[in-house]
Amino acid sequence: MAWKWFTEKWPYYQLKKLLLYEELPGGAAFASTLGSSLMVIFTLQVLTGIAQLFYYVPTTDHAYDSVAYLRTEVPFGWFVHNMHYWGANAMVLVIALHMIRVYVWGAYKTQLTWLIGVALMLCAMVMSFTGAPLIWDEKGYWAGEVGSGITSTVPVLGNIVKTILRGGESMGQLSISRFFVFHVWVFAPVLAFLIAAHIAALRTTGIAGPWDERKRRRVGHFWPDQAARDIIVASVVFFILVTLSVFLPPPFTGQADPLNTSYVPKPEWNFLFVYQALKYFQGPLEPVGTVGVPTVLIVLLVILPFIDKGPERNPLRRPIAMACLFVYACFIIAMTIMGYLSPGFAQMAGAAGAPAARLGKGETGGAKGPAGKGVAAGRKLFQSEGCAGCHKVNGQGGTMGPELSGATLKGKTRKWLADQIRNPKSHNPNSIMPAFSQLSKNQVNALVDYLMGLAGTGGAPGPAAKPQPRAPGAGAQVQPGQANAVSAPGQAQPSQLKVVPPDTVPETPSGKAAYIIGSASNGEQLFKEQCAQCHGAKGAGGVPNPGSAEGVVPPLSPINKNIASPDPKQFARNIDKFIQHGAIPPGPNPALQMPVFGDNNSLTQPEISNIEAYILKLNGVDRSIPAHPGMDPRLFYAVFVIAYVVAAIVLLMMWRNAGRSRT
Amino acid sequence: MGNEEERSAPTVSRRSFVLRAVIGVFTSLGALVMAVPFLRVVFNAAPLRKAEWAEAANISILPEGQPKDVKFEAHSVDAYLRQMKLRSVWVIKHSPEIFSVFSPICPHLGCYYKWDPSTQHFECPCHGSVFTITGKVIGGPAPRPLDTLPYKVQGGKLFVKWERFQVGIPQKVRV
Repeated sequence: MAWKWFTEKWPYYQLKKLLLYEELPGGAAFASTLGSSLMVIFTLQVLTGIAQLFYYVPTTDHAYDSVAYLRTEVPFGWFVHNMHYWGANAMVLVIALHMIRVYVWGAYKTQLTWLIGVALMLCAMVMSFTGAPLIWDEKGYWAGEVGSGITSTVPVLGNIVKTILRGGESMGQLSISRFFVFHVWVFAPVLAFLIAAHIAALRTTGIAGPWDERKRRRVGHFWPDQAARDIIVASVVFFILVTLSVFLPPPFTGQADPLNTSYVPKPEWNFLFVYQALKYFQGPLEPVGTVGVPTVLIVLLVILPFIDKGPERNPLRRPIAMACLFVYACFIIAMTIMGYLSPGFAQMAGAAGAPAARLGKGETGGAKGPAGKGVAAGRKLFQSEGCAGCHKVNGQGGTMGPELSGATLKGKTRKWLADQIRNPKSHNPNSIMPAFSQLSKNQVNALVDYLMGLAGTGGAPGPAAKPQPRAPGAGAQVQPGQANAVSAPGQAQPSQLKVVPPDTVPETPSGKAAYIIGSASNGEQLFKEQCAQCHGAKGAGGVPNPGSAEGVVPPLSPINKNIASPDPKQFARNIDKFIQHGAIPPGPNPALQMPVFGDNNSLTQPEISNIEAYILKLNGVDRSIPAHPGMDPRLFYAVFVIAYVVAAIVLLMMWRNAGRSRT
Repeated sequence: MGNEEERSAPTVSRRSFVLRAVIGVFTSLGALVMAVPFLRVVFNAAPLRKAEWAEAANISILPEGQPKDVKFEAHSVDAYLRQMKLRSVWVIKHSPEIFSVFSPICPHLGCYYKWDPSTQHFECPCHGSVFTITGKVIGGPAPRPLDTLPYKVQGGKLFVKWERFQVGIPQKVRV
């Protein structure tokens, strides 16, 4: 009754007929299921996108934490986020496969459907580009910063485009608002509109079907023949997406922090080919790489159906078209792989000796100080032998040994230095400096040349920088609070360091970093630079600390069990107190003490959060594990798989029975 | 309806012209009135803000002749967000009065570059630009030397104005 009333007033049957009763030349085929898989992925993106909007905040100070909250504190938030991430990747990949399929079948000859398809592909790329910065993590921030920076290399319109994207010149609050609006309110609806237009065009010209004329004469139906094939393929795609979301969550890359230079930005895989192209065009040619290459690739796709208008669709009789596809695909795949494998520009330039090679003849590269023959070689050795791990030179390097620029080496003779390198105990029986007896005479001479050049140049003058006679017997000195940065006024001074036994969590409050979910992989990098010289490689410990009660620097892997906690938040808070405020180990006269890293901004809060994530990882605790997953992800997956397998078996049996009863 | 239309065809066409004109004029007027504010809002670029002096470091602890990564907190206004933000600059002390203060941002595409003590160069990890200690470009795609920032010395302390410049162009344009 109500149904009749409804269908009299609403074109239900007309719509159903329009949508479902389509005749397909050549019958239903698995080959033509990719388009509907994309529809399914798009629907999933809309649903998971809306679900995320219930939590997401597009502000520079809260975006990262709001996403982290969704992923770890909201039941199934992790699933929704991961599905959105993998769905976005799948979207780009399946679009590529769909386009290749259409190309091989010669179906682009319908022209308009193909053109709208190209627009859809670009729209999906824009969605990918505008989505990443929304998390405001390192990866997304740099993708947005560099990506929108690239638009400014577009001739004439560049700056206008960049301003529209960023809302100003630099990335900031107005930029994240804009990326948000473009992602959610502009391009997602445009994508939906284009999908409708794509299908409308497809239905107007009819689907191309098989290239073989005879096969095309057989007519099949969309409902239910093709629809069933579509849903089978789509459910396989869905299955893969769920599997990836459960077992391969996208990594936390740490809160966006431009000051953290240990993070080397690299674009998402689908933009790697542009990144790679950029490397071949520099200087005035740069727009060729940033704009020219992508433009050429797009223009080729746009003009394709107008160049190849011949009626032939059999790929075997279109050798030129197939060769073009091969070259085109190989170009993008090869550039992507090269971009993926390339270690980043800095390393690339360094490995090729490029910066040195580009030096003009008159350039000294800014090297200062008296030029001994071996200065350059010595400087290299200083790096390669790991001296910089313990000794600072001109403000760069470790803090375990004394700084070697400035006044420290003044008055030392060549022989004294050479002896110190070969056998540190000859000057100080308690020295913890390793003996570099494996170095050749020339190498030691080169190092001495370098060190002699340093004596009295640069360095940090003033009493603070001089090794203090804290532990008369020790070879290593630390100036807490002087670690890496210049202390800003009003910040923790060395004298405020408290004595904390290594098995006690200090009473002091933890800092901001404890509440940020950091990146363990970036933390590993920072740990090598900042922590390993005292806590040992991978926190294994064993570094002597004369004058302390323990005699060694406490290891961090495994960390003292009073500090560790199975709860990642608690664990992070515990170690955060040491990192933020520093500590003095108990003992009569400890040579080494934990420097202040947070209170004096020696490390930024995101950097500290990354180090914490790494230390947790060393102890088998995942900082990013969902605290409230809703259901154990593995159990969830098991239920999901069982449901799917049972459904598949039942349907298969029904299918076989139906076949038997027909015969 | 159809008959009526045929009968009075000439007058209707004149009327229909006027009606179309009404539709056209009002739609265009409405669109124009909406378009200007709409485009102005969307195309707006945040205005330049006056940079303020921020205390960056005690000059006594800066090494002479070598770049030092100096971090300091400065008042930041980002549209409607007002915060204290950690900034970093590269400072080279030539003498107690003369400094070079470089913005840490690569003039190519805005990454933060690093000082490599082994090569004595500034190097950008993003796209491999290389600069000398004086900020001169000696490799990579950077279109101009490193940007210097205004500084002053007062009472033994170094004050810096945190400013940003447009990246990717050969001219140094404040933004």
